[in-house]
Amino acid sequence: MYVGVGLDRAPIGTALTLVEADIDAAPAHRLASFGLRVGSGFSVLSRTAGGGRVVLVAGSRVAVGRSLLAGLRAEVRA
Amino acid sequence: MSVAERAASSVPTLSVKQCCHTGGGEGAGPQSPVVALAGAPNTGKSTLFNALTGANVTMGNWPGTTVEVSRGAWHAPASCLCEGCTCPDSQPLDITLVDLPGAYSLDPHSPDEALTRELLIGGPADERPDIAVVTCDASRLTGCLYLVAQLREQGLAMVVALTMGDVADKRGIVVDVDALTERLGVPVVAIDPRRRGGLGGLAIAVRDALGVPAPDPRPVPADADALALEDDRFSWIADVVEAATTATAKDARTRSDKVDRWVTAPVLGPLIFLAVMWLVFQVTTTIAAPLQDFLDTLFSGPVTDATVAGLHAVGLGDTWVQGLLVDGLIAGVGMLLTFVPLMTLMFILLALLEDSGYLARAAVVTDRLMRRIGLPGRAFLPLIVGYGCNVPAISGTRILPNARHRILTALLVPFTACTARLTVFVMMGSIFFGAYAGTAVFGMYLTSIVIIVLVGLALRGTLWKGEPIEPLVIDLPAYQVPTLRLTASVTWVKLKGFLQTATGIILVTVIGVWLLQSIPTQPGEAFGEVPVQDSVYGVAAQAITPVFAPAGFNSWQSASTLVVGFVAKEAVISSWAQTYAVAEPEEGGAPGDLGVAVMNTFVESSGGHPIPAALAFMIFLLAYTPCVATVATQWREIGGRWTLFGVGLQLVVAWTLAVAVFQVGRLFW
Repeated sequence: MYVGVGLDRAPIGTALTLVEADIDAAPAHRLASFGLRVGSGFSVLSRTAGGGRVVLVAGSRVAVGRSLLAGLRAEVRA
Repeated sequence: MSVAERAASSVPTLSVKQCCHTGGGEGAGPQSPVVALAGAPNTGKSTLFNALTGANVTMGNWPGTTVEVSRGAWHAPASCLCEGCTCPDSQPLDITLVDLPGAYSLDPHSPDEALTRELLIGGPADERPDIAVVTCDASRLTGCLYLVAQLREQGLAMVVALTMGDVADKRGIVVDVDALTERLGVPVVAIDPRRRGGLGGLAIAVRDALGVPAPDPRPVPADADALALEDDRFSWIADVVEAATTATAKDARTRSDKVDRWVTAPVLGPLIFLAVMWLVFQVTTTIAAPLQDFLDTLFSGPVTDATVAGLHAVGLGDTWVQGLLVDGLIAGVGMLLTFVPLMTLMFILLALLEDSGYLARAAVVTDRLMRRIGLPGRAFLPLIVGYGCNVPAISGTRILPNARHRILTALLVPFTACTARLTVFVMMGSIFFGAYAGTAVFGMYLTSIVIIVLVGLALRGTLWKGEPIEPLVIDLPAYQVPTLRLTASVTWVKLKGFLQTATGIILVTVIGVWLLQSIPTQPGEAFGEVPVQDSVYGVAAQAITPVFAPAGFNSWQSASTLVVGFVAKEAVISSWAQTYAVAEPEEGGAPGDLGVAVMNTFVESSGGHPIPAALAFMIFLLAYTPCVATVATQWREIGGRWTLFGVGLQLVVAWTLAVAVFQVGRLFW
């Protein structure tokens, strides 16, 4: 059962927590090396051409492609 | 075993001390300590390398700039300043500095990252660098510390160089260097390589670290699996960052973020990308034009006149020597030099785009397009490098993790219009399109993109069918105001490279072309006094001319310059200038009249349709093999079979498009 909301539908500019990363190991590890892993806090900064998102995580601005968004699920931070 | 002994032995593993994967440069000698520069992409490694060694390694504000290993000598100043002291630290120390490709971790995702891992920890302990200097961006410490965490587990001596302090300041992030040093367990030095700040402190830290044993490896949980180990590292990183940094800004969004909302936006982003590219070519051609005219007049007038007068004065006037010097070297090399202002402007503008951080955004904007042709968004970066020069662009495909994507990208790179081709486009544009020359040149760049897309689609639908594409994950560096020093340095490196390549190739080509144009094919004609069309050069060119008849440029002058262009596009204009100067001396023969001669040739060969014929010629020039250096680089990167396939593909695409453009175009013009 899915939890949270996919990043494609996550609100922009809101503090979020990543609750699930149902994506391949390689991009998951790449995102983790920027600090974006399950349990970490981040926010979506903007939409990009091509349907991706720019996320702000641990000081890094990371552009994430559209194909990953649905597999990255987040909840609004309390 | 000493470093010299190690250098002499034939250890099969890769080592920073005897690495063959270098992009040039010499170290400080076999007895000198070896310091490796490592770090996440875009944290200022290459800028630091250049600042310390005075070398000119390619730099850019986007991930993946460094794909080769560079070596240089760093003359580290004395770290002991005590008066009258004779300790070793009171003398300067020569260090071999090695600039490694950027890597976020020791778990490689691409060949360049694998090379970094291999050189840092792949070999036995005595083959590793004596110290690793790891650059970390102060504004995004978390993303940089994973590599530090892994290196700390290896027990490698290390100094952390903290860069981008100005960006951190603007984002309200304060890093406590002492606390960071304590938490990491290795020395940390704040530096600003762009402005050469803190380099003395780095020298002291490195020299101090060289004099003491490496710190003990950071302990990790025993019997931990990969996942648990990863968790442990992230937990350690979180503790380090929490202890050493303070965020004071209330709003985490920066000016860069606000700009990115527009620059990477769904509709506006691609439009801004096109506008930026159009502006680059428009500004380049408009500003360079008067300077070009001045140099053209200089070489065709005073320089030619003075040379002819000098040769007559020493009794060599109207001889083959005058032919070689005036019609060959001055016409050929002089013509190329008229393009120096244009190239300089182009390189400055591209350097500004690179240094500002815009190119990483361009990779995001073009991601969807790249995916359509079966490539990830990151493949855009080597492709855009190709618009400068195809050779480093093909090397740059190493940033792609997937071997099949590297091959596909390396096959597409030759269709990017490099600056050597720009010189021909500008000349053709000014001859055939007058005031619209800039637009015509821009049109060639758009055509280049269209060809890449069409060829990519064709390959994706056939040889690359069903190939998975890794999703886009790319970090966006903060926008930076480009520094004069960095822009000048990058521009100079590229211009020098162009001139060195062009001058060498052109000298050889000019002499070779002159020689072939001087050898008669008919009995009774003397060497050096033969009409060009009757020379070996002319006869050979005439043999291939019919191939271009359907494309409207079936003159031997045009065909021969395409053969020369296979060697290097830098030589196209010089060989043209040489051909027309020799072929039509009665009409003046000066380079200034080259445009008229070319126009007349195209009018004749196209049956009165010079515009579509010129367009067809430009497109053929755009699409066929760029130069032998590109072929050699492709051979090295993707092997002989794919390289030959690529050359064949380029020729087929170039000929087909040229014929199509001419045949359709002549219905209208």
